[in-house]
Amino acid sequence: MIPADPLRPEYDCVVVGAGVLGLFTAHHLSRRLDPRRVLVVDRGYLSAGASGRNGGGVRQQWEAPATIRLAREAVGVYRRFPREFGYNPWFRQGGYLFLAFSEEEAGRLRKVSGVVRSEGLPVRWLEPGQILRRVPALAPKGLVGGTYLSSDGVIFPFPVLWGLYQDLRRRGVEVRTRTEVLGLSREGPRWAVRTSRGTVRAPRVLNAAGGWSREVSALAGLPVPNTPTRHEILATEPVKPFLDPMVVTLRRGLYLSQSMRGEVIGGLTLEHPGEGTSAMPSSSLFLREMSAEMARLIPGLASLRVLRSWAGFYDETPDGFPVLGEDPRAPGFFHGNGFGGHGFMLAPATAPRLAALLLGERTDLDERLFGPGRFLGANAVRPVEGLTLG
Amino acid sequence: MRPTRPRAPVRFSRNGRFASALPGETLAQSLSRDGPRSLARSIRYHRPRGPFCGLGQCTGCLMTVNGVPNVRACQTVPQEGDDVRDQNAWPSVEHDLLALFDRLFPRHLDTLHGFRRPGFLVPAYQRVVRRLAGYGRLPPPYASPPLVAPRLEWKADVLVVGSGRTGSALAGKLARAAPRASVLLVDRRREGSPLPEDPPPNLRVHRGATLVFLPPPRAGLFQGLLSLESGGTVDVETPYVVLTPGAYDGSLVFSGNDRPQVFTGDGALALSPSGAAGPFRRVALVGTGARAQEIFDRLGSRVAYVISLFPLEPPERQAWEARGPRVLDARLLLRARGGHELKDLQLKDRRTGALERLTVDAVILATRRLPNVPLFFQAGAAMHWRSGGGAYYPVLSPNGATSVPGLYAAGSAVGYERSSASPGLEDRVVETLRCRLEGQEPPQWEAPVPGRVTEEGRNPLVPYYHEWLLAGARGKALLCPCEDVVVEELDEAVHEGFRGMEEIKRVTGAGTGLCQGRYCLPETLLLLSLFQGLPPQELGFITQRPPAWPTPVGGLAATLPGPSGSAWETGGSP
Repeated sequence: MIPADPLRPEYDCVVVGAGVLGLFTAHHLSRRLDPRRVLVVDRGYLSAGASGRNGGGVRQQWEAPATIRLAREAVGVYRRFPREFGYNPWFRQGGYLFLAFSEEEAGRLRKVSGVVRSEGLPVRWLEPGQILRRVPALAPKGLVGGTYLSSDGVIFPFPVLWGLYQDLRRRGVEVRTRTEVLGLSREGPRWAVRTSRGTVRAPRVLNAAGGWSREVSALAGLPVPNTPTRHEILATEPVKPFLDPMVVTLRRGLYLSQSMRGEVIGGLTLEHPGEGTSAMPSSSLFLREMSAEMARLIPGLASLRVLRSWAGFYDETPDGFPVLGEDPRAPGFFHGNGFGGHGFMLAPATAPRLAALLLGERTDLDERLFGPGRFLGANAVRPVEGLTLG
Repeated sequence: MRPTRPRAPVRFSRNGRFASALPGETLAQSLSRDGPRSLARSIRYHRPRGPFCGLGQCTGCLMTVNGVPNVRACQTVPQEGDDVRDQNAWPSVEHDLLALFDRLFPRHLDTLHGFRRPGFLVPAYQRVVRRLAGYGRLPPPYASPPLVAPRLEWKADVLVVGSGRTGSALAGKLARAAPRASVLLVDRRREGSPLPEDPPPNLRVHRGATLVFLPPPRAGLFQGLLSLESGGTVDVETPYVVLTPGAYDGSLVFSGNDRPQVFTGDGALALSPSGAAGPFRRVALVGTGARAQEIFDRLGSRVAYVISLFPLEPPERQAWEARGPRVLDARLLLRARGGHELKDLQLKDRRTGALERLTVDAVILATRRLPNVPLFFQAGAAMHWRSGGGAYYPVLSPNGATSVPGLYAAGSAVGYERSSASPGLEDRVVETLRCRLEGQEPPQWEAPVPGRVTEEGRNPLVPYYHEWLLAGARGKALLCPCEDVVVEELDEAVHEGFRGMEEIKRVTGAGTGLCQGRYCLPETLLLLSLFQGLPPQELGFITQRPPAWPTPVGGLAATLPGPSGSAWETGGSP
């Protein structure tokens, strides 16, 4: 955001990607390292990537206990965020309501809620009548039931990035936007990071580039299974509050919430989401399918108008878990990517652990679930995080 | 005006009370027939608002009609028995207690940093702020259109978008020049735009059809999305598109610029159609160009003052004075005061620094015409800043081609005020397209058609705004009336380190409202250039997000395939 002085030649750590994870990790690193020896670079402006393009959902309902624990911690961080960082992201805990429209979906949701409950979170099964009392605008046709956790919520993503950015700036961490990484090579114990503003060297590099993480890994000569897939969101004109929880259907992966300003914001998973980072266009197919699903779920939405739509990338991994930690093939090269569209929900809890890994410490992250080594070599059957919608 | 209209007045209700409209009158015209009326309240501070843009773009006249929220009164002709209600006000638009927030926060409401402490009150803050926000209420299911609106597919050889003077002339000439080609002319307006004279059979005109999405062409074909006023949508496919969406009167930033009775030229003309008085008697007309003359011709003696932001040459000054109004040139518009009506307008002489107060009942802004360019951005056309227009325009070759193959443009949307030059740009577009359609090599022109707004120098509004900022007028000066963003918030964002239009849009919210940035972004760009000390063209611009016009979910949701084929078979009303 600030016109740049030339980069220094050496740092202790270079973070690639000024999204929510990169900034949060730099925040934790700057408490342990000399803040002036931490550099964050990003190819775009602040919030140009998925951290500025997501729907703001923050939920704790997951299939894997490890994810639930991270998400639970993240909710605590976001609750404290306005007081600690001076910016108000309006984290509103209106709950997350997963809807089932068939017995099969209901069975799946009940299974998930069993796991969530065993982690100590008071998730509830709601019958259709109870759901309609919470969201009277909903069309009840075919509704079987749903799970509801009141402490889940929706956040306005931008102020989180700005609060982190201002905090880093105050501490002396360099955050350089509009600075693209063009090359990564090893020079003895250090990495040479060639950027559009010059080359810097550091013993540790963190790839927190979200949708572009595969490209950044490729620059270091490291093939990874991450796939960027294009997902779209739309926002309607603002109306008075009528929708408290974030509503998610398993059927189309539709999610829908109402922002503090009153806009209805939501997305769904198209049958063939585009892959690759070459373009980020919106599509009329999405506008049509999303509108149809929205109006089917909440008929009153049919007379609201769509104001805008935009696209962003999910950085997806084969098993639905993010990739966290040092790449066994390349000492000093760390991954913090592969969040599959859920980076904003999990980053606050992931970042301190990632910072610890960067400093060579042990963490409670299960390496078999999150470690970059899990995709190398022939692996046995492994657990999967299946609830990757919404 | 159609000749066959029922003569009897239309009866409807406003907030349960009887009201009536003359046949064909819009809701905004009929409600302000007897004088100034505020029709709506703003989103954050609940400031009174009235019709402003007259084009269905701004948020000045949002009302709830038959349960459907956020209906633009300036675009709606009431039907017998309609139930029209105020929205976003308690108990009514005239006396809205929530306007207390305007008084409580005389500078602005800092939602970016505020409402954080103490922690236990945060949920309560959220409830209050949430209730303040939003315009109308979600309609009950029975008010929503059924999801069976037809979804049509149309094909044409050339799609001409915008049937203003340029578009209708161009479409008519092209259809005559290439009689075997099918030409489809669409316009957002249902009426009021000129039609081609003696339309040949290969020209079809669809009114009330808005092109809302125009992605870059694939394999030589544009696949766009038309939204019909009747509720349906059309997938339109064509190898050639000519955009002539025209221009509109821009806004101007000063304190109280969002008050009822402050209009753009378009807004004033919409409220005061030929023959009707309109809700003003004593007008301050801001601007002295061709547009201001057009407005003066309509309003005549009701214009008490003609104000120029810049010094006038003596002959121009005398010409205006000879027509009756008092002429004040080189003035800063400091502040408009008032409530539901306008009390006065404060000016400052830019040469002497003297302050003046004019008692007027309306301010009409005709300072500049802005091009309607979202579709160019969507289609991926190269754009450049032209300082004479103070806006981004498509880069054009001398034959009217944009940088996107198959996409052509003409008229005021590309910076031509009047199609007087002969042969004009539209003639070159017609000839080029005729050749392309008939498989011939089109002629080449070396020189661009003269008369386009200049790209050199500095827009005079930049130094104007500089002086205006230094003058330090009191009260809220709205940068983005749709989202109630004031100029001070822009200043603070720059102080906090935010730079460039993309970041400024996100941090202030300017450009994210219902007008989709049409009124706020041009002014934001000029003011930001002052705050950052950079020319406007170095601040970047925001990505234009589809749809290009707000489009009903119900229309987009229409998945029932209707009859497909060319626009001919599926009919439509010329």
